[in-house]
Amino acid sequence: MTLSGKIGVLCSRVRVEEKLILQKLRERKVAFDKIDVRQIVFDLHATDWSQYSAVLIRCLSHTKALYAAKALEMQGVKTVNAHAVIEVCGDKILTTLALQERGIPTPPTQIAFSKNGGLTAVDEIGYPAVLKPPVGSWGRLIAKVNDREAAEAVIEHKEMLEEKRGTPLYIQTYVDKPGRDIRSLVVGDETVYAVYRHAEHWITNTARGGRTTSLAVSPEIDRLSRAAAEAMGGGILAVDLMEDAAGRLLVNEVNNTPEFHGAMESTDVDIAAKMVDYVLRVSECRLNPLIR
Amino acid sequence: MAKIGIICSRVRVEEKLLIAALEERNADYERVDPRDLHIDLAGDQLSEYDAAIVRCLSHTRAYYVTRWLASKDVPAISPHETVHVCGDKLLTSAALQEAGVPNPRTKLALTPEAALEAIEEMGYPVVLKPLFGSWGRLLARVNDRDAAEAILEHKQTLGGYQHSVVYIQEYVEKPQRDIRSFVVGDETICAIYRTSPHWITNTARGGVATNCPVTPEIAELSCAAAKCVGGGFVAIDLFEAPDGRLLVNEVNHTPEFRNSIDTTGVDIPAKVVEYALEVAAMKSGR
Repeated sequence: MTLSGKIGVLCSRVRVEEKLILQKLRERKVAFDKIDVRQIVFDLHATDWSQYSAVLIRCLSHTKALYAAKALEMQGVKTVNAHAVIEVCGDKILTTLALQERGIPTPPTQIAFSKNGGLTAVDEIGYPAVLKPPVGSWGRLIAKVNDREAAEAVIEHKEMLEEKRGTPLYIQTYVDKPGRDIRSLVVGDETVYAVYRHAEHWITNTARGGRTTSLAVSPEIDRLSRAAAEAMGGGILAVDLMEDAAGRLLVNEVNNTPEFHGAMESTDVDIAAKMVDYVLRVSECRLNPLIR
Repeated sequence: MAKIGIICSRVRVEEKLLIAALEERNADYERVDPRDLHIDLAGDQLSEYDAAIVRCLSHTRAYYVTRWLASKDVPAISPHETVHVCGDKLLTSAALQEAGVPNPRTKLALTPEAALEAIEEMGYPVVLKPLFGSWGRLLARVNDRDAAEAILEHKQTLGGYQHSVVYIQEYVEKPQRDIRSFVVGDETICAIYRTSPHWITNTARGGVATNCPVTPEIAELSCAAAKCVGGGFVAIDLFEAPDGRLLVNEVNHTPEFRNSIDTTGVDIPAKVVEYALEVAAMKSGR
């Protein structure tokens, strides 16, 4: 294998996923560094990072991932995922817009810029509706509102919390899914696995206690997952799909730093190997067609 | 006739002047208050406009409104790309650096510990800036290690999205003034000096505006800066460095200009409206 430079793995806490990825890099006998995002400084006018041909970004913090990717790209280092991809995935409004613009089915969604606008939107969407912070993860502050009183109270609380002035309200139709949703993983142009995530609670994140069972990648799951990943700009991406009451698949969200320890119980795919091999392919080509 | 939307929540002096300029030209325009909007992301709201002048006070609001307009193929002034890049100091630095536009030396750290190391390495004084924000809010000039430690701890306690990223810039010793130039489309229409005994020279913070003749260097650098962030109607902040070079410090995507019209003798709102009508005519003529 000819490599122009080393591979970097940028992380903060080393979780199960990162351990598996580092182990796989060792097995592949690739020159690599684990880089602790908490210790680095980027000099924007220097080229300190030119020894790396590609960096896999595995930080827990979305903000750190986002800015590290930009600083690395400025120095000509390819990142997985790319800055623009992290940005779109980290923002539910940008995600839904990118999906809508490509005709990928998503739950009906509205945005509004004030309490009144938000309440009109919820009324129009109908109850129950789901209010989500445009930026955030692990199901935090996602609220299901079943009636107008709940909508008023939640929006009022959001106004008090608002970290960035002018952040819009993001209001989505509640999809009555059958006690489960689907998570698939796309690496490059391949859907490498799909699993069901089950939960009693309507928020089915495995981080919130959901369990997974295996699921074959159907042609429809494959097509939608790859289309969703491409809409984000491509890379290593986990796609959240929901089955609506009519049995139609909808794309809900796309995650740019997929956790996969939960899925490992339900798939035989060597996920870390797929990821590492993709990073190596990216590092070798001058331009990756999937990374804009 | 081309239809213009002017999107703003509060109508300040600037927006009044823009509306007056639209009226003067008998333009077909509507004012849209984003607080009245609820946008169905599968719908086509605002798509009836041939161009939109976006004057939201909140950067975040301007960001999503212009992104929506881009989705509907409505040209915005300033466009989404510009709002996106100018609203984030790191993206601004990256755009300037990639375009070869001179800018102050900058470092980025992702924890207070790494930031302290970067500051010590750069040497005092340095300036710490929040990635987002305007009117000079939370800009900190740090002259020694004690100040650095204190500010970093405060940033950490403030917490939240942007304070976990520390943006560190060399302090440029400027002659008690900086230059703000205005670019509309691809023309540098005028510039002012902002003079202040304080190192933050914003007129909103007491800086005094006087006319600054647009030299070929200012014109060229301003246009280059405007172009690399995405164009539209922008204001460029320039520093005169001790070695005589001009450095681009920041670019503003929704400039205030009330103090610059009489000072420069240039009818800024007229220029902006004429540009908007041109952009709209191109769109409606397609």
